[in-house]
Amino acid sequence: MPEMEEFTMMLEDIMKTDVVSVKPADRLDRAFKLMEDHKIRHLPVTDEEMTIIGIVSDRDLRDASPSVFNPSESSFAEKEVSSIMKRDVITALPTDFVEDAATVMVENQFSCLPIEREDRLVGIITDSDLLKTLVRLTGADLPTSRLEVQVPNISGMLTRAASLISEQGVNIQSVLVYPAKNPEKKTLVFRVETMDTRKLVERMEAHEFTVLWPEQTPGMSI
Amino acid sequence: MKRDAAFIYSPEQLNYRFNEHHPFNQERLKVTNDLLIRLGALSEEEMTAPRMATDEELLYIHTKDYVEAVKEASQGRNRASYAATYGIGTEDTPVFPQMHEAAAWLTGGTLTAVEAIFEKGYSHALNLGGGLHHGFRGKASGFCIYNDSSIAIEYMRKKYGARVLYIDTDAHHGDGVQWAFYDDPDVCTLSLHETGRYLFPGTGNVNERGHGEGYGFSFNVPLEAFTEDESWIKAYEKTAEEVAAYFKPDVIITQNGADSHYYDPLTHLCSTMRIYHEIPRIAHRIAHQYCGGKWLAVGGGGYDIWRVVPRAWALIWLEMTGQTELAGDNLIPSSWLKEWSPLTDHNLPKRWVDDPDIYPAIPRKPEIEKKNERTVQKCLEPIYRQHKNVHI
Repeated sequence: MPEMEEFTMMLEDIMKTDVVSVKPADRLDRAFKLMEDHKIRHLPVTDEEMTIIGIVSDRDLRDASPSVFNPSESSFAEKEVSSIMKRDVITALPTDFVEDAATVMVENQFSCLPIEREDRLVGIITDSDLLKTLVRLTGADLPTSRLEVQVPNISGMLTRAASLISEQGVNIQSVLVYPAKNPEKKTLVFRVETMDTRKLVERMEAHEFTVLWPEQTPGMSI
Repeated sequence: MKRDAAFIYSPEQLNYRFNEHHPFNQERLKVTNDLLIRLGALSEEEMTAPRMATDEELLYIHTKDYVEAVKEASQGRNRASYAATYGIGTEDTPVFPQMHEAAAWLTGGTLTAVEAIFEKGYSHALNLGGGLHHGFRGKASGFCIYNDSSIAIEYMRKKYGARVLYIDTDAHHGDGVQWAFYDDPDVCTLSLHETGRYLFPGTGNVNERGHGEGYGFSFNVPLEAFTEDESWIKAYEKTAEEVAAYFKPDVIITQNGADSHYYDPLTHLCSTMRIYHEIPRIAHRIAHQYCGGKWLAVGGGGYDIWRVVPRAWALIWLEMTGQTELAGDNLIPSSWLKEWSPLTDHNLPKRWVDDPDIYPAIPRKPEIEKKNERTVQKCLEPIYRQHKNVHI
């Protein structure tokens, strides 16, 4: 095996552990600067023990910033984080599964989840971390081409398709199997480590698999 | 006649050949040169012979153990483990004798092009043998062993302190060059390619913008499959202009893979020869506008070596040397057609533009155009964002 980091589907494997956070007594201008400097949109608020007691987003900051209609409100920058932070924070645990965290984020329309272990802030994940995970699962982060094949929904089809690919000496980086519209079929999506998929297409077709991509007639299906 | 552009070529560049069935075929250099010569736009005497890149130069970008592995394989001492570790001996980059030397000659060509501009005073230089943009620091990939463009960029950084804008119009994402300079704010990369959702290498998403200090200096325009001329050209002109204006480079290097054409067997874009008139024209204009004309061009992909590559690449030289009137509405020299027709089953093109009916109408054309427009908009967001200064 090549040296790859081990990959499972728990949050501790994909979370950021160098979390930028603030204290409740920090000023809003400091919070704003931290977000700008680190190009982030959320700051967990913790006490001295690193227990999560709140969260502020760039949106909370914007909502709190002085209105153009009331420019006299100049003390904004000096306000404390605790004056605007949200206190009911939904958090996740390091051993939560990625799918579950994604569900929580979608249901609550959050774009980030702080992660705690034994009541201490240990990590954070954002929607872009989830997206990266998805890209990695589909193998599109490594130099590969897509090969999409429709097969009968019976046992042994994945093995047959995969062995046709390996007989050509081409490495498979990832496989997705998903139901086709026709319940008697399944769609297999391979990311294969080659720039030239023509021989693979030929082999698949010779064995009576339907190749959905690369497609022969421009623009019909996608 | 003394020109303001250097044409880099020597027959050693033809030795980069994996095997006779491999789609990467440098015969296209011969076919292209012959077209230019028969056109009266180039002579053998005015070609500048390249040199071979030294080990030291290869190590600007590549790791020592990778270069050593290429040398071993090159001498017939390939190991099974090289395929997984170094990408050598795979379907895409099989081993061939003297592969190290062949790859180092192509790289040397691009370095010779750099020297033509920075040492010999040429404004432009063209090395069609280069453009191997998939080569990684420690791994061969996508037909590429050494990444000549990355090495040339590093050479220009080190030796001349130049800020370099790299523009890649190959149908495949310019991943090797992008990752080599992903955290470098003095090298800006712009790649337009068919979306990686389907095509190799899969990367080149619009949100790949660079990292650390290099954030905001990597631009990607992943175009929809079946994109046609007009949409392609709009995306290219807009992004090239905006990125050049924003980055203000000292020199531009363009990678001119000629595989976005409908005829190309490995990709799924639907351009015609029209984009290959526009690519060098706009690059040329930008080079004069922003960097005193300093423009280095290399080749790249291109797998229809008869109907697409010779014309597309000849047009770069015609543009560089102000001879585009030789193409335009003129016919392709009949002596060229006679010379090469016997070698291919395809009908060689008789003109410098293609008939619009070479491919069937694309059913989802308006949607494709709309999507591409949005992608361009997204790609340029960091530039637009610079204009609004939000202060507390």
